[in-house]
Amino acid sequence: MKKIILLSILGYCFAMVGCQKEEYGLPVLKDALQNDALKRKFGPNIAGQYIDFAYAIAIPATKGKIVSAQVEASIPGGSQTYFDPKSYYTNTGGVDVGVEVAGASVNNGNITSINLTKDTNAVTFRYYYQVPEAAKGQEVSFTFSAKSSNGETVSYKLGPYAISRMDMVRTLPVSDNNLMFISIADMKVYNAVQAAANPEKIDLVYSYKNISGASFNHALVAPSASEYLTGITLPQGVNNDSKLIRVFGLQDRDLSQLQYALYVDDVDLVQKDFSTAPNFALDMKVDYGLWIETADKKYRAYVYINSVNNSGKSAVVSMKRIAMN
Amino acid sequence: MKYFRIMLMLILLVTTFTACKKYPIDEDDLLITTRKECYVSNFELLGSDYVTVRTKTAEIDTVAQTIAVEVKYGTDLKNLYPQFSLAQDCKLDPKITGWTDFSNLANPKKYTVISGDRTIRKEYTINITVKPL
Repeated sequence: MKKIILLSILGYCFAMVGCQKEEYGLPVLKDALQNDALKRKFGPNIAGQYIDFAYAIAIPATKGKIVSAQVEASIPGGSQTYFDPKSYYTNTGGVDVGVEVAGASVNNGNITSINLTKDTNAVTFRYYYQVPEAAKGQEVSFTFSAKSSNGETVSYKLGPYAISRMDMVRTLPVSDNNLMFISIADMKVYNAVQAAANPEKIDLVYSYKNISGASFNHALVAPSASEYLTGITLPQGVNNDSKLIRVFGLQDRDLSQLQYALYVDDVDLVQKDFSTAPNFALDMKVDYGLWIETADKKYRAYVYINSVNNSGKSAVVSMKRIAMN
Repeated sequence: MKYFRIMLMLILLVTTFTACKKYPIDEDDLLITTRKECYVSNFELLGSDYVTVRTKTAEIDTVAQTIAVEVKYGTDLKNLYPQFSLAQDCKLDPKITGWTDFSNLANPKKYTVISGDRTIRKEYTINITVKPL
């Protein structure tokens, strides 16, 4: 019984200690130049696309003003890498509003720099790193830094971030009896004449058939799937036996023009099992997709259907592709 | 205090014995009940996109023990996902573990339904036909 009383007292003491209220104190302003950065881009980092960052810099007005900012990337970015010369804040409506505070940014090797043109004590820049081809399959890191008029400097490191091995093309129009030959190797769509020039590169044939009682409609089939290509004369040598897997509900954010929140990444393509996959996919609709492995097993891709047009017998597709060798 | 301890021991004893009452379970750790019902009540067949490939409701004959399903033209028969609804407490053999190859139409797949009391077994044959063009 004594033990129970002792335990109760002990528990009460702990409860009292745990509930002790700490007085709130206003954060103390650091009396120096400060900075912070974050990566805003989600999903795979694909060559040719941007990785965007927010870089915030501030200094007390009594100490001076911000003079310049720069980012050093471990791998030089593409020619379109830049600092947005505007400083952004979010207004009460939740909209990001930019105020121009600097001149155009300059790229010099792996460094992108910007000089402020207005007296400013606090800015949040946007930095856009265009992923270069050379960075594919590697990792890239960033060092953000800023200078103030009183000679102070600060820096902030981010990364490393993996760069995808995938390539991406968006909004390729395909049409029955015209632009119907799709090359995964070239990531292009060809007509019959163009396909005849590169028959070994044709991996998919698009066609549209409205057959009563059958769900054929917009079809993507391998050139070898002759059963589903009736009425179509393939150019000489177009006969690849690609493997296809029809998918619904995999609306890739990159391919769907930022409509959805899913991403097809390198690992998805690499780990896909095509061992029992067929060579045809019929009745493709908007937001459907297609995993494909080329006949030579050199490439794998995810083809996404952006739109279809029954009366026009056409569709718009986008794709992400990875080289397997 | 002594009385309190004895009461506590008694409650624990009763709870333990109540919780440990044994029900028979089978090799899959499923309860074996007294139910003798043994049939398929519904059947579904999904394609690689997880959307049905049936053109109409599957015809289930519980006497002949057959399920007739017509699938769409262009269905990939090698990668289908069958789904069975069974009578209460029944189980299926073989188990559905993933994509199933139904492409050998001349040699249709067979699944056995086993009743809740595990005494009755009924083998169902899945007859698939592809809707012609």
